[in-house]
Amino acid sequence: MESLQLLLDGFATALTPVNLLYALVGVTLGTLVGVLPGIGPAMTVALLLPVTFSVPPASAFIMFAGIYYGGMYGGSTTSILLNTPGESSSMITALEGNKMARRGRAAQALATAAIGSFVAGTIATALLVVAAPLVVEFAISFGPEDYFALAVLAFTAVSSVLSRSVVRGLASLGFGLVIGLIGIDEQTGQARLTLGIPELLGGVEVVVVAVGLFALGEALYVSSRLRHDEPQIIPVGRAFLGRSDWSRSWRPWLRGTALGFPFGALPGGGAEIPTFLSYSIEKRLARGIAREEYGKGAIEGVAGPEAANNASAAGTLVPLLTLGLPTSATAAILLAAFQQYGLQPGPQLFDHNPALVWGMIASLFLGNLMLLVLNLPLAPLWARVLHVPRPYLYAGIVLFAALGVYALNASWIDLVVLYLLGLLGFAMRRFGLPVAPAVIGMILGPMAEIQLRRALAIGAGDAAVLVRSPIAATLLGLALLALLAPLVRKLAVRRSGSG
Amino acid sequence: MSAHEEPEAGRGTGAPEGAAGGPAVPAATSSPPGVPGPAPDGPPGRGWRRPELALALVVLGLGVFVLAGTADVTAAGSGIGLGPRFFPIIVGSALLLIGVFYVADVLRGGHGDPEEGEDVDAGARTDWKTVALVSVIFLAFAGLVDLLGWIIAGALLFFGLSVTLGATRRLRAGAIAVVLSTLSYLAFVKGLGVTLPAGLLSGVI
Repeated sequence: MESLQLLLDGFATALTPVNLLYALVGVTLGTLVGVLPGIGPAMTVALLLPVTFSVPPASAFIMFAGIYYGGMYGGSTTSILLNTPGESSSMITALEGNKMARRGRAAQALATAAIGSFVAGTIATALLVVAAPLVVEFAISFGPEDYFALAVLAFTAVSSVLSRSVVRGLASLGFGLVIGLIGIDEQTGQARLTLGIPELLGGVEVVVVAVGLFALGEALYVSSRLRHDEPQIIPVGRAFLGRSDWSRSWRPWLRGTALGFPFGALPGGGAEIPTFLSYSIEKRLARGIAREEYGKGAIEGVAGPEAANNASAAGTLVPLLTLGLPTSATAAILLAAFQQYGLQPGPQLFDHNPALVWGMIASLFLGNLMLLVLNLPLAPLWARVLHVPRPYLYAGIVLFAALGVYALNASWIDLVVLYLLGLLGFAMRRFGLPVAPAVIGMILGPMAEIQLRRALAIGAGDAAVLVRSPIAATLLGLALLALLAPLVRKLAVRRSGSG
Repeated sequence: MSAHEEPEAGRGTGAPEGAAGGPAVPAATSSPPGVPGPAPDGPPGRGWRRPELALALVVLGLGVFVLAGTADVTAAGSGIGLGPRFFPIIVGSALLLIGVFYVADVLRGGHGDPEEGEDVDAGARTDWKTVALVSVIFLAFAGLVDLLGWIIAGALLFFGLSVTLGATRRLRAGAIAVVLSTLSYLAFVKGLGVTLPAGLLSGVI
């Protein structure tokens, strides 16, 4: 029950007027930016990172928690009212959600998404409170070889799960690893891959990479094939649920939560698999009217995936906070935010900075509640954001991307690097390479290197040290499995196809 | 990992009905800068004329670059080969391997699916003129921001981009540009204490 006491202390931190204000600003900004078309949660967090530069750490993370959850809420509004979201985690919501909206049930779709997100977010955050101390206790004995194996698992899992083609996922990972190599080697002080440019000695900042790949990359990609016709946005009133909608929604919410949380906590799990699983489970379980409506806008198909989506967001925080292991692009950027303050998430963070960690977790509960209050009555307001003319929207995205990057060092070289990364992001979108492995590779790569060298130094250069601990051996085995599974499946498909 | 297939299937069904299309719809092919010979619209060609090949070759080249670029990094004070070159060699070799597989995949006709999005016309041809204009405007901004200051350069950036992307009412675009760049300057400099260049307006603000 120690964690309960710590959580209460966390609430004491989060409930101060100043921090409540930061949480409110966070959820509002997060929702506002998240609703904007073309901007998913990862880009929302990346674009808003500079806003927290001059805020003290505890408040900054309370604000960040709000931005994170707010961005998720905003994304579902976009997919219900506008369809075809760019963010893969909201894609499933659009399936039934947009059809519901077209049949005049936009208010119910938004309401079941908002309330479902609230229910899932609250339960999943409670699970986070229970799970985090357990993982910390387990991870306290981790040696460098275990951390290295963990990073390798994250690399292969995120590369093979997020992409239809493993080689494209790995190529994206490779881009990230190379970017992570640029700069001075921390252990020997040697400059690597800096091309003689002194500004690169400190390495490329994560904000530049995230904003370049996401914001500028998206803007360039959209400008290459911008839809010029007016987008069809479905008008909506205040979001609400009728009695029958409630009784049809609550079970999918709970099932979605149960799916989303564990998948979010797994390396490479992300939100895509649980949302899709939830969608197909609800489809299978549908009876009566739900069965008839499925495919034409059934509320179950919005309630379940939306809950799974938010629960996985909370699940992602378990490995992030306890192990320093990002399992999604958004989590990778959150990790970068921690590093910005000189904090390294992991077991030590819970020891050294309990006020900060638990304050952030407590504010997740508060942020969720704020989002519910903010989203139900204000749905029509958010819907109006969708009408922003696209030329202004993307010009604005680029302006704020430039602002965030320039504010780092006031250096125009950063802007050029930002542009080059934008080009890379453009090419990756154009050819269907997932962006998340690059971001994770860039952030986790240097950590993997340090742990690898540390482990090998302990083992006096003997590579067998990497598999000596059973944990490391298991994790590396799983990493290999993640790489080979799609290959095996392809072979199996080929065999059954020909046979 | 049987669940692996799910997101793809989801992606397939998630596609809007009709023209925008799912994963199976071939990409409108067009060349990235530096690759001569625009391919015609329609199903992507096979072999050496695929634009994606350029990206695959970039991966391969990056592997060479990492291996060659760290060749001059001396491993000071490490007897067991764990110096600053150790990890780059792993990354570089991995990239070479990935690059070979990627090139082979592209040559055999494999292709990634262009990302879908709210504002993306997945069936459209790549509009290189707009991309080039956006690039020029952005790089000009990068070069001029110190001289002109944030407010002027930012306003020009926003105005240029919005007009390039199809804003028809220039007066309105200009007004929004000035308001946005001024407000962002005031919010960041006065509100958050971030340093932005005042440039030409340094006496005024």
